[in-house]
Amino acid sequence: MYNNWMRRQRLLGYVFIGPSMLGVLVFFLIPAVYSFGLMFTNYKFMSPNIDFVGADNIVRMLHDDLFYLSLRNTVVFLLAVPVSIALGFVVAVILNQKIYLKKLLRGLYFMPYITSGVAVAFVWMLLFQPKQGPINGFLRSVGIEHPPGWLSTTTSSMYAIDIIWVWFLLGYNMIIYLAALQEVSSELLEAAKIDGARPTQILRKIIWPLVSPTTFLLLITGLIMTIKTFGIIQATTQGGPGNSTTILSLYVYQNAFRYYEMGYAATVSWALFAIILLITLLQWLGQKRWVHY
Amino acid sequence: MRKKGWLAGIASLALVSGVMAGCGNNNNGGNASPAASGKSEALSSASAGSKASGGTVKLKMWGGVPPEAGPQTVMDNWNKAHPDIQIEYVRYVNDDEGNLKLDTAMLTGQDVDLYVNYTISQTAKRVESGFAADLSAFTDYNIDEKMGADAAGWKIDGKYYGVPTTKSSFFVALNKDALDAANLPVPKDWTWDEMREYAKKLKQGDGYGFIQNTEPYADPIDAVLSKEGYTKADGTSNLDHPLVRKWLESLNGMMQDDKTTPPLGEQLTSKMPVEQMFLSGEVPMLNIGAWLLRSSNNFTDYPRDFKIAFAPVPRLQDDAEGSMTRGGIGDYISINAKSKNQAAAWEFLKWYADGGMAPMAAGGRLPASKDADQDAALTSMLGDKADTYDKDSLNYVIFENKTPTFVRSLPQEVMDLRSQEYEKYFLGAQSLDETIAAMVSRHDDYLKKSK
Repeated sequence: MYNNWMRRQRLLGYVFIGPSMLGVLVFFLIPAVYSFGLMFTNYKFMSPNIDFVGADNIVRMLHDDLFYLSLRNTVVFLLAVPVSIALGFVVAVILNQKIYLKKLLRGLYFMPYITSGVAVAFVWMLLFQPKQGPINGFLRSVGIEHPPGWLSTTTSSMYAIDIIWVWFLLGYNMIIYLAALQEVSSELLEAAKIDGARPTQILRKIIWPLVSPTTFLLLITGLIMTIKTFGIIQATTQGGPGNSTTILSLYVYQNAFRYYEMGYAATVSWALFAIILLITLLQWLGQKRWVHY
Repeated sequence: MRKKGWLAGIASLALVSGVMAGCGNNNNGGNASPAASGKSEALSSASAGSKASGGTVKLKMWGGVPPEAGPQTVMDNWNKAHPDIQIEYVRYVNDDEGNLKLDTAMLTGQDVDLYVNYTISQTAKRVESGFAADLSAFTDYNIDEKMGADAAGWKIDGKYYGVPTTKSSFFVALNKDALDAANLPVPKDWTWDEMREYAKKLKQGDGYGFIQNTEPYADPIDAVLSKEGYTKADGTSNLDHPLVRKWLESLNGMMQDDKTTPPLGEQLTSKMPVEQMFLSGEVPMLNIGAWLLRSSNNFTDYPRDFKIAFAPVPRLQDDAEGSMTRGGIGDYISINAKSKNQAAAWEFLKWYADGGMAPMAAGGRLPASKDADQDAALTSMLGDKADTYDKDSLNYVIFENKTPTFVRSLPQEVMDLRSQEYEKYFLGAQSLDETIAAMVSRHDDYLKKSK
């Protein structure tokens, strides 16, 4: 009797998750397994021939200067995440005070996150223009004779992309932090004030630890999202000038859809997956030291 | 996480491209069919066969030119004259994504009967995959005879897998008024150094004397290497050819010392609108191709108060003997070997090449076939703007210049590695020697890998 009911409940459960599992299966699991297999082949898109080449692709990747360069660029790109989290926290704390135009400012900070990526890219390209762009115009007007070339030099381009990305992530980080700040109990803050704690002390010793789970969440999701992104770079520099902004995800894209080298692209994308997995695991292990639930 | 991206991409691309085909067509304008029927047609033809009721053959042709720049008129003309074979034009954008869309459409068996190739390396991929019919099966049209000697550049393993249809000219467009003011003649044959002098003389104030569209940017070195070979006799890279060095050095000099041409980094990251800069009279010389006519005939968006003259792309060699120029003929139209309507597609293709394509001239595309009425095409190309062009020099670069031509055949990977390295050089991030060494070693790696 009871067993029968259990069985029916279980069946019903499968019926409910069925449709979404089908989606995961068709669009994620099967392609993932397939791409794992591709790693060991020399498959080129459209090509009728597909040969098993063993670990050739992996050897090639380990000897590929561009792979290491893309890896380095990816690391520089990832710097945007902690920076935008720190800024997001500061902005959220400020907007959590009683200040004028609070609602408007919150909206403004969140705007980039919901704006079309291509539009964002074009606006920033205009702003960053080395000669006529308003940013350098401003810098010149305050007396800086040789303002940076931003997107147009190999040395500054990756950092210019970082700036765009910080600006993009900021609003989201701020909103999540604002929600977390509402959760901070006012009793604790009042108690601290009565005990004579200074505002900076309250911020560092009470608020920051209390929102640490939020910081952890933002760090993990931010890093994963950033490492996967290539749209913003594809829309601005396409990996250039030279290959100074080619990050791993873009490198995968170029190999797959520009050169049709599916086997090699699969290899690099699995390397990328391994890196994401590693970063996430490390953070998971490290969280005990600084995340307070 | 990333790993799912590209494969899911293929699947979704395959899904959307059927729908896109319908959408693209609805945007054509001038077509009376209501949007709804167009869409359902695309959907049904993606699943079912392409034979409609009543024995009409339905063809689909994929090309990169916007329908309003000629193709739609061509299709309408054909459809009016041939009620039994109806053809529909699908536009794909000729970039990575667009070519991928076309390849995916063919791979997934959607209806692609005819398609236009723009580079020989892309054609080669499609031939290898069995998506381009060998046209030697059709014996009633002699491509060599119709299109002339330049057509041979499009042969793959000695065979035609398509018909090159367009006279594709690449040239330097000149602001004739500015040249006249500086007392400079319109050159018919000039060297890279002479061009540099022109740029210096024409430069005004902070402006530039010479700008280049990024598509033909590296053509001067391809002109050299198409002749001398991209590899040396021993099979190693020839990218350290002295003239490659000369091109790099002099162009860098123009950017840094003469300031007659924009630094490449700035041009790329600001997506410099070179056509607009030339047509507004801001810069007097522009290295570009026939597609300039699309903009230069459009006085609404590009008002212009000067006459345009044309010169061949300057050569790096001092000696005219043995120099080459890009161009000849292009728009290589293939028939999908998987198409069920190859005979009908062939009928259309012959008609198109022999003059049916005349309306394409409005977008700068002149028919290459000797049987097409080229004067008429030229007239329709220039339209009512004929007197804003210098006819003599236009005739010269399109018809009279007898310099041997080459078709770009370099694999995308090599073009990319080359441009990545020269970008670094033009930005001052590496020296000339480092640049050449890096190009050579990366090219050698590529050659080894693709053996």
